Amino acid sequence: MSNELISKKDLLDLAGISYGQLYRWKRKNLIPEEWFVRKSTFTGQETFFPKDKVLERIDKIQSMKETLSLDELAERFSPSVKTETKITKDELLQRNIVSKAVLDLYLNENGNIEQFRFDELLEVFILDKLLTSGDISLDEGKMLLQVLKEARGSLSKSKYELLFIRKLGVTSCLLLSGAESIMVDQRSKVTVRLSVTSCVEELKTNL
Amino acid sequence: MQSGIKGNLTINGYGSSNGGHFEKVKLNGRGTLNGNIECVRFECNGSGTVHGHLKMQNAKISGSGKVKGAVEGNDFAIEGNGSVSDSVSLTNKMKISGSGKIGGSLKADEIKINGKVTIANDCEAETFKADGQFTIGGLLSADQIDIRLHGESSVTEMGGQSIKVKGKKGRFYHLFKAFFPVKLTVKLIEGDDLELESTKADVVRGNNVTIGPDCEIDLVEYQGTLHQDDNAKVREIKKI
Repeated sequence: MSNELISKKDLLDLAGISYGQLYRWKRKNLIPEEWFVRKSTFTGQETFFPKDKVLERIDKIQSMKETLSLDELAERFSPSVKTETKITKDELLQRNIVSKAVLDLYLNENGNIEQFRFDELLEVFILDKLLTSGDISLDEGKMLLQVLKEARGSLSKSKYELLFIRKLGVTSCLLLSGAESIMVDQRSKVTVRLSVTSCVEELKTNL
Repeated sequence: MQSGIKGNLTINGYGSSNGGHFEKVKLNGRGTLNGNIECVRFECNGSGTVHGHLKMQNAKISGSGKVKGAVEGNDFAIEGNGSVSDSVSLTNKMKISGSGKIGGSLKADEIKINGKVTIANDCEAETFKADGQFTIGGLLSADQIDIRLHGESSVTEMGGQSIKVKGKKGRFYHLFKAFFPVKLTVKLIEGDDLELESTKADVVRGNNVTIGPDCEIDLVEYQGTLHQDDNAKVREIKKI
């Protein structure tokens, strides 16, 4: 992801929105506070935004605001989760949120679950995502579940990133919070880098 | 010291209590509450202090009240002298008549200020109406900002849809202008429709901008229309 910044003025121009809208969205937490980057320029302090992220978000808001209220949108974008979300095993399959094979694997590891809470859902969802894309192997999937289990409860509260590093065929799975960039030695390879926050967002859209 | 039916907490005279959950909390006289309070209705007449967070539906401070924590609820009214050490976040209305001090940020649907207010951080609302004096350390953001100035006010940044700032009218005030400067000092104002009077700003940005009398502005950037009063000083104008 590029770290290019866009000034507030250019952003409004490019997205075709007004100051009023931008501030309203900010108030409703549709655009997270940390995306407002303050920088000093020759005319004084100006606000900049991470270009890709903010444009994508504005695009989403604009396409969804016809059908959803701003509060509903805020709920969808917020990393925190309604804890009462529950969904049954069958519903998961019917609605094509995860595949049968992955669900079986998950249930094998965790025992039978009829009603999925959100954090459990998130775990299956991430597992499904990585397994079906072929990024990780079955054994690595088990490792992933272990790591996710450790962080259960706090996973959707903080901004986590999931990392798989492989060296000489041995894999490590890491969960990072708040790391902008990481360095690994030459022989190690980062095979997967996944933002948990965007997974939460994606899962919410699917529910 | 402490009386009332089950679920209510009333302190008449001089007294203190611990926090907890109540239906109604009423402090008459000099009351101190040590701990967090959660209640439906909170009322403070006289001099009251809450050493903790206050969570309620409806609160009113008449007289002098202090909350040494954050306030969360629907409606909050300060009549007299009220201070909150942390942030205030309300789902409905904040009304300050008298003097208010907020050590964090203030969030509400509607904010109405008559009197004097200091807010350390941001102030966010759908409508913000002020008829008085205020100091806001962060961003004042609201759809409708309606300000009538008395004395000197300052905000770091203002943003919203429609922003109106009115100075004091009348010959009487012109006479005493030197003694009582009526001015709003702000670094940046951004909005769609702006009408400003008696404002000193570094940058003003908007679609339709009206710069009224007594304004001192370094840079105005506008897209639609610009009206400028003869009595306004603007150093630079840019049409985008």
